[in-house]
Amino acid sequence: MTKPTSIERDPLYVVAPPIVTDKTKRFGHIIVWGTFTLMFLLAIIQFLNTNEHITFGFKTWRPVLYAYILWACAIGYSRVLIYGEKGKRTLFVFPAVMFILSIVIFPMLFGLYISFTDWNLSSIDGREFNGLDNFYQMISDPYYWNALKNMIYYVLAVLVEFAIAFLLALLLNSQIRGRKFFRIAFLIPLMLSPVAVSWMVGKSMLEQRFGPVANLGRFLGWETPTFFSSPEIARLTMMCMDAWTFIPLMIIMLLAGLQALPKEVLEAAKVDGANKWTMFKNIIFPIMLPVSLTTLVIRIIFKLKLADIIIIVTAGGPGGATDSVTSFIVREYRDRSNVGYGTLLSFVYLILIIIFMTILIRFVNRWLQRAA
Amino acid sequence: MKKSLYEYAIAKSKASRRTFLKGAAGAGAVAAMSGGLSSVASSAFASSDLRSAILKIPGVGVGSPGDADWQKVGEMCLGGTKERVKEGEFNGVEISFLGLDSLNLHNMLHRGFLKPWEKYTGAKIKWIDLAQADYNARLQQSIATGTVDFDIVQSGAPYEGDLCGKGLTSEMPGWVADQIDLADYVGYLQAPTGTWDGKTYRISIDGDCHNFNYRTDYFENEDLAKAWKDEGHSGNWEVPTTWQKVTEVSKFLKGKKHAGFPAYGYLDVQKGWGGFGFYFLGSIATAYAKHPDSPAFLFEPDTMKPMVNNPAWVRAIQDVLDRRDCQPPDQINADPGVTGFSQFLAGTGSMVSWWGDVGSNANTSDESLVQGNVGFDILPGSDDVYNWKTGKWETLSSGPNYAPNMAYIGWGLYCMKTVDMDTTKRKAAWSACAHIGGKDLSLWMSMYPSGFQPYRNSHFNIDEWVGAGYTNAFASDYLASEADSYNHPNAAIEPRIPGIFQYYSIAEDELSKIYAGEYDAQTGADNIAAAWDKITDQIGRENQIKLYKASLGL
Repeated sequence: MTKPTSIERDPLYVVAPPIVTDKTKRFGHIIVWGTFTLMFLLAIIQFLNTNEHITFGFKTWRPVLYAYILWACAIGYSRVLIYGEKGKRTLFVFPAVMFILSIVIFPMLFGLYISFTDWNLSSIDGREFNGLDNFYQMISDPYYWNALKNMIYYVLAVLVEFAIAFLLALLLNSQIRGRKFFRIAFLIPLMLSPVAVSWMVGKSMLEQRFGPVANLGRFLGWETPTFFSSPEIARLTMMCMDAWTFIPLMIIMLLAGLQALPKEVLEAAKVDGANKWTMFKNIIFPIMLPVSLTTLVIRIIFKLKLADIIIIVTAGGPGGATDSVTSFIVREYRDRSNVGYGTLLSFVYLILIIIFMTILIRFVNRWLQRAA
Repeated sequence: MKKSLYEYAIAKSKASRRTFLKGAAGAGAVAAMSGGLSSVASSAFASSDLRSAILKIPGVGVGSPGDADWQKVGEMCLGGTKERVKEGEFNGVEISFLGLDSLNLHNMLHRGFLKPWEKYTGAKIKWIDLAQADYNARLQQSIATGTVDFDIVQSGAPYEGDLCGKGLTSEMPGWVADQIDLADYVGYLQAPTGTWDGKTYRISIDGDCHNFNYRTDYFENEDLAKAWKDEGHSGNWEVPTTWQKVTEVSKFLKGKKHAGFPAYGYLDVQKGWGGFGFYFLGSIATAYAKHPDSPAFLFEPDTMKPMVNNPAWVRAIQDVLDRRDCQPPDQINADPGVTGFSQFLAGTGSMVSWWGDVGSNANTSDESLVQGNVGFDILPGSDDVYNWKTGKWETLSSGPNYAPNMAYIGWGLYCMKTVDMDTTKRKAAWSACAHIGGKDLSLWMSMYPSGFQPYRNSHFNIDEWVGAGYTNAFASDYLASEADSYNHPNAAIEPRIPGIFQYYSIAEDELSKIYAGEYDAQTGADNIAAAWDKITDQIGRENQIKLYKASLGL
């Protein structure tokens, strides 16, 4: 019996016989280093030209970008030339790696550099490295700390949102009349863009003179129903608007968890004579704990990015009472063209979020393990 | 008015341009001159058929104009273009136009005006619309990153430091100056405004200043007049002409009713607006801070030391604080646009400072509920004025100090340097701008809701306004408030320095805290001054001083 060839052994696995030779290997190395050298040279020329050290160069950095794309293609091709079949396997991952490198890692590194520069778009001198100055400015910036303080209030409000969402999810999970209608109706706020919510609710329904909510307030005896005049009420109004938009998301997640509850356990409890509260306290809530915590974590992530409705409805006012970190950073960028400082604030906020979420997730995991 | 006639008028009256225009609308000034001249002038001012025809579209008092009206006006005003451009001359040319879509005005109108122009010339316009609050950021980013992706920009003179100072704009060709009749611009829009290093870059399409708009029916209300006397206020129940009186009237009206509704006095804008909200404080402060002996009121010219925390500005901030209790509910969160249009024009409040478009909207906008009940004046003055050089308050022998705030100096159109590389494109871009900034079309814009206000001497011909459907009293009153502001000898003219809106933006943040009661006026003003110093250092103090002095004519 003759030994089967590799193609006969696994025709789907082996696409083509190996073609790697010393010549292809050498060619692979040449195209990688050749395109890299081209890109490097173009980048150096463009850098020197941009900084006015040399007079010749390109009008934009676009040729360097094209050289980078060429280099990336050359790397991909060289994998096949050098490693043959194994190299082809690499090609499945390679575009994704290059994509992340180009779209995520490089901008992150560039952003990190920007955050250590003094870059005001109106400055004649352009961008200048200023070390930790932006960081020191942040330490003494009352607006940033005020916005962070507000974020604590906003994040704490998630607990109330969760309670409401859980209640509504329980209702939608029970055999109530019009259940399907309510399931869809509750989802509508989530489908709306926050900009639409800001105008529809914040600027129209809550409008002091003719808004229906204000009219209702007057009907109920509130003499001057204003929703954005005092810091506390303004903050509360923003929380309510944001909650109105995102509670449906929490409802969906919790409803999915409720529908996956083991029916036999619930029926057994009923047979044992447990009332609704006992069932909720001792069975539903504990079993729902993993879903609940996941819901909370996801909602907090959304909450930490809160900005659009604040920018549109209150612009952070009155007196910074509704400002979020993101809305403050937007003002720093958009209105004051302070790119260096704004970027540092964004990075610090990112780091704070990562630290906070890491602690939160660890805490959640530990709690879940204990509960199990 | 024709340039030759204007020059003749100046020579005949032995007056400076400013004196010539001071205190009256152009027509009034001409009428006041010698008989021989006035007959010449009146014929020059006589409404041409074209002008009177476009002003009837759609007609004052018949509702807001729409796209069909804008196109019709654009079509009728194509004469200047047809004289200089052959039909189809710009076939295949595409021009991008960056402007605003605020309140559905600005670019919305330009689209309509330019449609017939596009049809005739063959060029195509690509529109980039921005909200007012996003405008500054978009422009600054484009300038700083060298990504100027537009050929024409609607911009304000305060940005000339950023645009022209960095060599990004195309110099105006001579034929454009002829087509638009540059000499017809009111005084403060003449050079140096619109120019940089002696070259002209701008076609003005607006002349911005804040004027004082008030409700005449409030001040004709006999019950209020009686109550004013009964409460022992000094003087008659009349329109206040100083900020001290504005505050007194606002406090007096608190809790009272007018026409069955709660009465309110002066509407203070307290909310930020991407930097534009700072102008409203400026309109109060200039009366206190702009001394007739010095053009400076924002920074000390030799050092760029902010004046915003001097006693004059602090008094202006304190005025707003003192009137907080007299405002409509939720005023602290009312956008400036809401204050001008949804409040004042809709009947809430009796006084407001705004650009000229409150006046041009009062009788022509569907939103207006105050038709026939609005009067106009220059901004109120102050019984005393702060002299920043001596550090003392002074009472002027001439009476209250008035200093109209030339807030934003007006919108203009600028062609970018990018069009210079292609002769046809350059001609097309400038032709489009000249069409919008044309003498006749601009008259229509100054009378109807457009976002722009009168800015040419020829816009002040009362007969044309009356012909369009305005009453003589309204037109005289409104135009006088504009002309007297533009030509006021102590007008506060905004400096054309880079990053001016950064200063305003940070000030808005601090003012928000002051108005919310977090600090007192002086502490907040000190914070603004510290932040302004930081911005000046960041942008470059020496260069800012140089440009600031140049913009003040020092």
